[in-house]
Amino acid sequence: VVVLALPDIYRDLDTSVAAVTWVLVSFNLVMALAAVPAALLARRIGPGRAAAIGLAVFAGAGLACGLSDQLSTLLVARCVQALGGAAAVTAALELLPATVGSERRAVAIWASAGATGAALGPAVGGVLTELISWQSIFLLQVPVALAAAVPILAVARHEAATGIIEPELRRTGRPHLWANLALAMVSAAIAAALFLLVLLLIEGWRLSPIVAAIVVTAMPLAAILGNRLIGPLVPSSRARAAAGAILVSGGLAGLAFLPKATVALTLPPQILVGIGLSLVLSALTETALGGRAPQAIHGGWTISARHAGVVIGLLLLTPVFTADIAQQRQDAIDAGTAVILDSRVSPLLKIDLAQRIESRLEGEKGKVPTIGPAFEPLPSDSGEREAVEELRSELQDQLNRAATHAFSPSFLLAALLGLIALAPIGLARRIEL
Amino acid sequence: VSAEPGDGGRGRARGRILSGAAIAAALLLIGVYLAAGGSSYTPEKTQDPCKPRPWRSPESLQEIAEQFSLSALDGAACQLGVSREALARALATPEARERFSEKYGIDDEKLAKAIRAGLVRAVDDAERAGALPPLLAGPLRSTVEKIPLDQAIELVHDARSALGGLQGILGPAGNFLEELLP
Repeated sequence: VVVLALPDIYRDLDTSVAAVTWVLVSFNLVMALAAVPAALLARRIGPGRAAAIGLAVFAGAGLACGLSDQLSTLLVARCVQALGGAAAVTAALELLPATVGSERRAVAIWASAGATGAALGPAVGGVLTELISWQSIFLLQVPVALAAAVPILAVARHEAATGIIEPELRRTGRPHLWANLALAMVSAAIAAALFLLVLLLIEGWRLSPIVAAIVVTAMPLAAILGNRLIGPLVPSSRARAAAGAILVSGGLAGLAFLPKATVALTLPPQILVGIGLSLVLSALTETALGGRAPQAIHGGWTISARHAGVVIGLLLLTPVFTADIAQQRQDAIDAGTAVILDSRVSPLLKIDLAQRIESRLEGEKGKVPTIGPAFEPLPSDSGEREAVEELRSELQDQLNRAATHAFSPSFLLAALLGLIALAPIGLARRIEL
Repeated sequence: VSAEPGDGGRGRARGRILSGAAIAAALLLIGVYLAAGGSSYTPEKTQDPCKPRPWRSPESLQEIAEQFSLSALDGAACQLGVSREALARALATPEARERFSEKYGIDDEKLAKAIRAGLVRAVDDAERAGALPPLLAGPLRSTVEKIPLDQAIELVHDARSALGGLQGILGPAGNFLEELLP
């Protein structure tokens, strides 16, 4: 949900791209580390109490995130928020069977909620960032978390009165290594897809967060479609997992080879990633939990694997794309200079325009500049005006090329991570059949 | 994984169809995007300044001056081993020139020598393109070979005024310049 707010946080808190990724990394790292201990806590004190405490901590930390005016305080609050989130999410898996009637159905709902949430989050975050502010994403989590805690309080009170549910009847079992490993790999690829696409749309192509949010809605819509229409047709979770990983990788490779900086061309890859993520996350989560107990602990392992994957993806890809952005910026400056030198604009106007563009580049402190204002006012002479407009369009094209190409190696690397997930999916088959 | 419901023959067939469809969709997308130019959607590469660049057929003094400046930039950049674009940015302001000198370790003497060589190349290119008569090319070549750095940079920036001002530089022979230039 925070992904689309990152560019705004990055500007507001005057930090770097590499530093702002820690708003995501810190949360996911703590989630990865805390999920299994949180599940154990839920087993010890009862899932109702664990979920209620988790939601309260999540809400309190969300408030702190929303009030943060420094990156350091935001990061600390995000870590605390992850602790609360880990407790709430793992305990929810223990609470769900009683609500929905069966453990199998509970697992399916829990798994598909995770997949849909992963896909829907960025769009919601983008709308809130644009309409209100990035802080509103966190502040809105406070009433939502507290509202979710209200019905759980009754369960917590009941647990306090009657003691913890029959732990001796529950089996424990080894976590499903291959399914969790595949979850980590594919989560790394999906996190990269969301994070990189959002940065490309907002920072590269200069779209507003709300427009970017609308664009990335293609992914959750495709995920819902995949969950509803394709998933139920194929009973084999292994086949769904493999097909999902292939679709995610194919979509990411498509984003790496965009032939033009046009929003419409991001839609087919997004649809592939969306359908793929709904298939692979649900199938792997169901596989990791299937026939295993206690559910909270195995659910904790899947949460841990998914969030560890996100951390791996972000830490692996951030240095790659920040280096590529710097290189592409230089290439864009050279290509732009060549366009100016070879344009039909008069020499003195060329020098003037070059200086105005240079000052915009410096003003944007290394980000992709909006060059339009550098060409204002347009010359009154019609021939000169036409030449200037042609020059502006050619320069914008060079900037779009550079911004798009800067993300290509990272998208390809993310696609590779998705393909690597096929290895544990295949190994799970060999070992368990 | 081992005991999935419906994982019989029909289930396996559906699984294979899904996997095949996923592979086909992924390959189709990648293939279409590559065919549409996905692998070459990059900023245009700058041209090697040492390679000759064709002159657009100049129709006025301004266009000759512009081609002259671009040739001079190419020649100087080739001599210095940098791109024409980097040198053009360096010559835009004194601050940019200072940054350029620091980055590439090029002092004013070396820069002046390179720009003079570039101007000579520009005269040669102009003569070859028929934009400058041989009668004027010779004296102009001798003049730019000795020109001070600041004037050389000025000449690269705005060759029009310099070419127009050749009357002054060349003395009485220059009075015919405007008539002789195509």
